[in-house]
Amino acid sequence: MAEILIDRVTKRFGTFTAVKDLEIRFADGEVACLLGPSGCGKTTLMRMIAGLETPTSGRILFGNRDVTALSTSRRNVGMVFQYPVMYPTLSVEENIALPMRQDRGISAAERDRRVAEMLDVLDMRDQRGRFIDELDAGNRQKVAVGRAVARGSDIVLFDEPTTNVEVNAKLQLIRAIKTVIQRTRQTIVYVTHDQTEAMTLADRIALMDSGDISQYDRPDQLYSRPMTEFGGWFLGNPGMNFVPATVANGTLAAAVLAEPIRLAQAVPPGVPIKLGIRPEWLDMYGEPRPGTVAGVLSDQTIGIAGRYLTKVSFGGVDVKIKTAGRPPAALGQTVHVKPQIDRILLYAGGNRITG
Amino acid sequence: MSAVGFTRLCKAYRHKPALDGLDLQVESESFTVLCGPPKSGKSVLFRLLVGLEKPDAGTITVAGRDITALPPAARPIGYVPQSFALYPHFSVYDNIAYALSLTGTPRDEIARRVDRAAGILSIGHLLKKTPDQLSGGEKQRTALARGLLKDAQLFVLDDPLVGLDYKLRERLMDELKALRQELKATFLYATSDSLEALTMAQSLVVLDGGRVVQHDDAVALYHAPRHVRSLELVGFPRANILQGTAANGIVTAGPLRFASPLSGLQGPITLGFRPEALRRGHGRGLDGRGRVRLVENLGGELVVYLETEGASLVMGYPATEAAPAFDGEIAFTLDPADILLFDAGTGALLAAEPVEA
Repeated sequence: MAEILIDRVTKRFGTFTAVKDLEIRFADGEVACLLGPSGCGKTTLMRMIAGLETPTSGRILFGNRDVTALSTSRRNVGMVFQYPVMYPTLSVEENIALPMRQDRGISAAERDRRVAEMLDVLDMRDQRGRFIDELDAGNRQKVAVGRAVARGSDIVLFDEPTTNVEVNAKLQLIRAIKTVIQRTRQTIVYVTHDQTEAMTLADRIALMDSGDISQYDRPDQLYSRPMTEFGGWFLGNPGMNFVPATVANGTLAAAVLAEPIRLAQAVPPGVPIKLGIRPEWLDMYGEPRPGTVAGVLSDQTIGIAGRYLTKVSFGGVDVKIKTAGRPPAALGQTVHVKPQIDRILLYAGGNRITG
Repeated sequence: MSAVGFTRLCKAYRHKPALDGLDLQVESESFTVLCGPPKSGKSVLFRLLVGLEKPDAGTITVAGRDITALPPAARPIGYVPQSFALYPHFSVYDNIAYALSLTGTPRDEIARRVDRAAGILSIGHLLKKTPDQLSGGEKQRTALARGLLKDAQLFVLDDPLVGLDYKLRERLMDELKALRQELKATFLYATSDSLEALTMAQSLVVLDGGRVVQHDDAVALYHAPRHVRSLELVGFPRANILQGTAANGIVTAGPLRFASPLSGLQGPITLGFRPEALRRGHGRGLDGRGRVRLVENLGGELVVYLETEGASLVMGYPATEAAPAFDGEIAFTLDPADILLFDAGTGALLAAEPVEA
């Protein structure tokens, strides 16, 4: 068993609290990404799992084993760092084999078999004899991945492994990591600030904000149903729109709504409500239709994969909208916009209040 | 009148031309973004414009006035260089205000302008700190504020957001666009990020080999690139570009084989198409199969990297369509009308006009 349990862990550095009373369970055999902006506590949390930092309070368990007081070497975790720690005088193959040489439980034949398998998975068979300093940053990092995984520890930790790798090599590296983690049954905790990387690799993402976990969920859930305004803003290119809304007599009105919508539940009185809607959850037309609201097309650019990224102003409220084709009106002209009502989310005080 | 004009501008280093008779007129009050591969002349052009170097030949005008011979300080240009240095012993406020204080601007006028620039860049709370107390992003915003403080109608920004957190960049992109409108100034902006270029630009200039190969409205340029660099450097994900050959009316490149839309084509040819032109399924004219190397999930969109016989292809589509299985095989289809053909030597678009015999 190698589930990881973080049991009410706090970490302070002087007066600064990096991790605040966290409780989270990383399931056995899953890939969990710790995602968030710099300073959110993701690296500190990973370093505590690795044994490189000691919690100020709380416990860390691997399965039933309390490892809080154990040194790194006794925790039996594989690690991949931002800057790979390598042996330049050893070949690719020898680097991958090295941690297994120190493990008496692995026979020489088994070791060779695992090295060969790893070289295959990493697509590095023809580079097996090369020395580390002959490789580019991407391939060096692939070797580090192979070395961390091949020894077969229950848990492997990744600390922003793609940071220092240039764009094209990065794709190769992410592919290699994806291939490796799909084959292994190890529990993986992967730290990144890159939302695309997290969405691409993770079974579940722990989105972190100021030492706290804002949401721990599957990537599609995190994207389509963020628990917090922070989550809506952080994920997406660009992030979610938040439109001020008003509540009266059990209905909700906002600049993007043609008529108030009935609320399924009560909302806290006196707290400003915002309506959260992603740029691709609004449809735009050239003519009014049932349910549309008129606005002025104030900006249009080309976004991802040829979609248009536009900005529409409804009175003083600007909303970003993605359209599949050319917007139906020229800049400065009126367009008619209809939000996909069933996708709308409501937020109060930064937190989602709709189911 | 254009805000900036470059006429037959030449600059060589060790007899190698970096700018090769470059002509460019930048429209007043536009947000114009310069794109180009490394060594295409972007940075050289900026250095000549702000006066850090002198051209070998040609002229530079700003608002109709020839500034080619003016010293840097006399040029009416606000400049945010790519690599910036802050004065370590000055506060953030003094770093931003320094250049202005040298011009004899009244103290309260300086304070008003520093506050405004700091407000736009969200560094108002940092004005009393010194650079060593700032994060990398905060230093960068301080440098931006310093460049934007100048009383000018023209601002030159050389990749000012490079290396910043994605979310900070997203916000600053919005703010810089709004700031340009507010100042009614001209922004000449370079970036190496193709999505940033498209998000910021009203007008795009594509450089290659020290010349302008295309200068157009951003949306128009995206849909009608006239040079392979325009296709390659503008758009995210990157366009598919393949090397192929034309023979006897048939174009062949990697997994693709189709009737040439142009008569008389023969020999090596470069072809390209957008990631959104490549679709899953079949029946659009050119069909094939590929192995899925990676599926990137951008939340709202998916980017699929395919390996086919002899070529890597990229497709991009809204995430409302299903994601293919990692390492699985899928069918793809492409309309030959979406494929652009370029001269393999010059990179110029081969237009659909009849080729001269």
